[in-house]
Amino acid sequence: MKLNRGKMLIDPPASASSDIAFILIIFFLVCAAVQPETGLAQVLPKTEEQEEKTKQSQNLEVSITPTSIVLNGSPLQLPEFAQRLTAALQQKTKEADRIVVVKSSPDTPYPTWIRVSQIIEQAGGILTLELESNRTIQVD
Amino acid sequence: MKLPRKKLTASVPSFAMGDIGFLLLIFFVILARAQDDSHIQWEPAKLADVEMAAAPLASVAIDSGYKAYLDGKEIAPEEIAARLSTILGDTPAGQRNVFLKIHREATAKNFEPVIAAISEAGGDLVHILEPEENPTAP
Repeated sequence: MKLNRGKMLIDPPASASSDIAFILIIFFLVCAAVQPETGLAQVLPKTEEQEEKTKQSQNLEVSITPTSIVLNGSPLQLPEFAQRLTAALQQKTKEADRIVVVKSSPDTPYPTWIRVSQIIEQAGGILTLELESNRTIQVD
Repeated sequence: MKLPRKKLTASVPSFAMGDIGFLLLIFFVILARAQDDSHIQWEPAKLADVEMAAAPLASVAIDSGYKAYLDGKEIAPEEIAARLSTILGDTPAGQRNVFLKIHREATAKNFEPVIAAISEAGGDLVHILEPEENPTAP
């Protein structure tokens, strides 16, 4: 036998709906704002002008263009570049010898530049940018 | 003749204290993230082996129109170094994080002066990138 139960109707107070909506807005705002960001860290010592140009010629030189990566005059593909650079840097014991001078053509795309930069760092090199205005930046 | 006035008492209902506290907490959370640059149109480059980035003191961005921004405000690249030096102040090395958000289609002529400026200000550069799902050589 079924027993008929009286229906209980409980309405949330209408005056609270604006508070609920406001708190929901803020909740989603905070969720959107605290998305973690990923990246590649580089320690940049302050910009210095290179005084000894003769010493610079002893360092490894990398030229980047949109279509090629040139290590000490040899054009290479990215995997080969990583191998050659690692081999070259393994022979260097002093920190000053591990400087890698990077010259980029003005139309070098950022993804290519950042890949090369990561390879240099992973190989143990000290990235140094050579800008067109002859300013040199060291990137560890 | 003085007329006696009725004393009016206004009390905050105690059951609302939880809501008030919660809203204040969220207000300060949002205020702490005042360096909002969410309006900048840019797409990050993809790279394998990226790491979680620590909280920055400043954020520099280059948008899809190759304009430079410092903490969400447009700025000329040659002004970045001076402004950034002021923001970083005497913060010790290792805690001078500066996020660099470069649109993936930007070229060296756009981003190298900005990197030079961050270097000049002595910032600890963090390139903001998207993790590559299937890393392959280009």
